[in-house]
Amino acid sequence: MLNDILIINKAHEKAAKTIFDKVMEERKEKYIITITGEVGVGKCEVSHVLGKLLKNEGVMVKIIHMDDYYKIPPGMRTEWRKKHGIRRVGYEEYNWTLINRNLEDFRSNRESELPSVDLMNDQVDKILTNFAQIDLLIINGLYSIKIDSADLKVFIDLTYKDTFDEQKATGKELMDAFRLKVLQREHQVIQTLKSEADFYVDFDENYESLHF
Amino acid sequence: MLGDVLLITEKHENAAKVILPVILERKVSKMLIAISGESGSGKTELAHVLAKMLRKESIIAKPLHIDNYYRIHPLLRTEWRKKNGIDKSVGFTEYDWDTISKNLDDFRNNRVSTMPCIDLVTEQVDQLTTDFKGVDMLIVDGLYAIKTDGIHIRIFIELTYHETKKAQVVRGKEPQNEYRMQVLEREHQVVQSLRSMADIFVNMEYQVVIPSTKGSRL
Repeated sequence: MLNDILIINKAHEKAAKTIFDKVMEERKEKYIITITGEVGVGKCEVSHVLGKLLKNEGVMVKIIHMDDYYKIPPGMRTEWRKKHGIRRVGYEEYNWTLINRNLEDFRSNRESELPSVDLMNDQVDKILTNFAQIDLLIINGLYSIKIDSADLKVFIDLTYKDTFDEQKATGKELMDAFRLKVLQREHQVIQTLKSEADFYVDFDENYESLHF
Repeated sequence: MLGDVLLITEKHENAAKVILPVILERKVSKMLIAISGESGSGKTELAHVLAKMLRKESIIAKPLHIDNYYRIHPLLRTEWRKKNGIDKSVGFTEYDWDTISKNLDDFRNNRVSTMPCIDLVTEQVDQLTTDFKGVDMLIVDGLYAIKTDGIHIRIFIELTYHETKKAQVVRGKEPQNEYRMQVLEREHQVVQSLRSMADIFVNMEYQVVIPSTKGSRL
């Protein structure tokens, strides 16, 4: 993603450090971490901090954003969803063929073409990168947990009502009645996937708890 | 740049608010705006905020970071500079001006364009392909951005690396040491030499100063 604004706080740093410790224990060649959670929960922020921590240990990390892999580009997505109905909102909206191809490129140390949404103009650009030097992938996204072959599946937990405020703060999407319906639907889908995680990070409102 | 963390604050927004009407007033097709300033002065932040405000005016503006266009790869640059001497190597010639010109030409001609894009997490140089059709303006930010040919509005941020030292450390973008300080000093000299090219200044207090054009009135 290009032109994204990240506001990194202590909770993101703590979460990233906890995941980092686990990864340093367990990692092997061509390791894949997925970070899942609701909209606005801090997936990008945690990925970013985690990436930097690993880089300091000499691990070459690439961060992949599943938001770049929607079949329907951002400018047309709301219209598409209104036309096809709210039940079509979910992991089927991703271009899984492309995701799997890029994962294969990573494992095979190849050059790879990745999509990259420019948030400034909602255009989908392409990034050509070389996976030969990359040891580890951090894949973040609403439904990244659906990547079965991931080595570590992390779930960051907050209810969608908490993330509603986060959404408004980041201002990535216009907030209206339809957007709220979409968030509700995405929340339902994510909750059904939660049990597939290996590792849970919990930002409880009363106290921050991080646990496996 | 991939993985760049911008710290956008009120001062960037306030400066952009003053600059925006000037851009709208002088608007031309396929407009090029450039922002120069030393490391940590807020070039990228200002470019970002301006692009967002322009979008609200239905103008599609894309930021272009020409700090992506160094000839020498980030991981090899320190060695190169030490070998050739900081005074000789640090400066305009570090940019790949041929590729910059080509990409700007692609922009003017509504073409699909490929450009370098540094991933700040890996420090790898990836290649970004984008379609300039439908992009109305480019906001070019970088140390020496206002030196680029064909710029319509040149913005110069006056903060020097002394003032921004704290911000540099907080961002953690580059390691702070003796060598880095020498580079910053040399970059400072080169950037300051571009002052006279500027149309708009952002002063030490981050206020916008627009000098009236010479000889415009009797």
